[in-house]
Amino acid sequence: MGFTLWGPTTISMGFIPVFMMYAAGWRRSILKFSRSSKMAALRSRKVVELFYDVISPYSWVAFEVLCRYRSRWNIDLQLRPFFIGGVFKETGNKPPGLLAAKYDYAQHDLRRLADFYKIPVKMPPMERLMRRENVNSNRLLTAVNLDCPEHLENLSRELWMRVMSRDQDISDPASLETAAAAAGIPSGTTPQLLRRIHDDDVKAALKDTTNQALAYGAFGAPTIVAHVEGTPVMIWGSDRFPLLAHMLGERWEGPLREMAKY
Amino acid sequence: MAAPARKSVEFFYDVLSPYTWLAFEVMCRYQQKWNIDLKLRPFFLSGIMQGADNRPPGMVPAKATYMGQDLKRLTDMYQVPFNMPSNPAEVMFIKGSINAGRFLTAVDMNCDQYLEELTRQLFLRIYYRDEDITEPASLMAAAAKAGIPEDLTKQLLSTLKDQAVKDRLRQTTQAALDHGAFGSPTIVAHIDGKAQMFFGSDRLELMAHMLGEKWYGPLPELAKAKM
Repeated sequence: MGFTLWGPTTISMGFIPVFMMYAAGWRRSILKFSRSSKMAALRSRKVVELFYDVISPYSWVAFEVLCRYRSRWNIDLQLRPFFIGGVFKETGNKPPGLLAAKYDYAQHDLRRLADFYKIPVKMPPMERLMRRENVNSNRLLTAVNLDCPEHLENLSRELWMRVMSRDQDISDPASLETAAAAAGIPSGTTPQLLRRIHDDDVKAALKDTTNQALAYGAFGAPTIVAHVEGTPVMIWGSDRFPLLAHMLGERWEGPLREMAKY
Repeated sequence: MAAPARKSVEFFYDVLSPYTWLAFEVMCRYQQKWNIDLKLRPFFLSGIMQGADNRPPGMVPAKATYMGQDLKRLTDMYQVPFNMPSNPAEVMFIKGSINAGRFLTAVDMNCDQYLEELTRQLFLRIYYRDEDITEPASLMAAAAKAGIPEDLTKQLLSTLKDQAVKDRLRQTTQAALDHGAFGSPTIVAHIDGKAQMFFGSDRLELMAHMLGEKWYGPLPELAKAKM
């Protein structure tokens, strides 16, 4: 280091500034080591796929929790917008909210989860969620995932804020344009993205992602697939995080409300 | 200074439901840790399904497959001994649980100190050893393992068709329906004068938060169910 901690420099300059110079040298070495171990960690990060649809309120919970844990767990979170309608059709499953007792329960359940997780989720009327044209939002997310994936997280969040917090439309091009702007997508890019909703490759990509989820055994949303030692582990819902942590060799530290984006 | 009053937590359940066993074992472990008064309320799941116009989840094939894997992973993690029956459809949809429900009710009415262990022994029969829970001989065997004296068991078994027992099971089922139940388990925690209904075995951490209690996970080290 070029000086000793208890030598003449310390005595003449004072302990604290010398200790800080010493520590600074240590910090440079530690940072260098941590960067190289971070590179090693990146190579060994476990892939966690989140298949989600913005008309699924519990998908929003899973999305926010996984976004928070991205920095805590050694995972590579991959967002996979899919089409829950396609999953229901293929499996014979039905939206739970169609049963009155389950819809009523979901309203209470989500209100409590909103507090617990600090996510402003509020169950809208089923009519809002059952609109056929909502598929436009799934296709827009798919187009963004193909063309400018850096906007996927923000747009997903904004679409949930509209439909699952403010009971606003997410099916109309005008609604989607507003959502795109709020999500920070440049206004020059948006018209092109809205046109892409009708492109064959976008429709095919949405179908493909949905089929991938089905191949993992999906029957609902959210569907989380954690790749652990070469084996895909499929988990349904937003209430298996302690199990997911256990399977990833990580720790569940609760809702992490302090990391809420709201 | 008086100790804070215990919060009442009602656990409405049917032993026909595998996820209910997870919730039951965890709640029994937390009885010692939390300032709660856990009240076991055996009900009739078939009556709940009818009352709420619901269907058992296993009727969607992809869901049934998932549940098998999910239960294995969770029971391993929670240290609850579990094996899916060799013919789950027969166990759940054909044989049912009316006698088990009435027997649990009779025990609840007459000697509720045995209710927890009898519940556990019935779960071990159906969801660990793939044994019957519908025949009188099966209920006698479970009662014996639960420590219920034989003459008391015989006496209680003779009351299963009594109006008082049928009515009590029906009333408990209706009470759960009135709280919005559509399946098992249905947990009703009475917090600040309000009844908070939680469905399933995966809201316990949230319930802890609302009870003002600490969540320590499934507490496998406090496992009571022996293989």
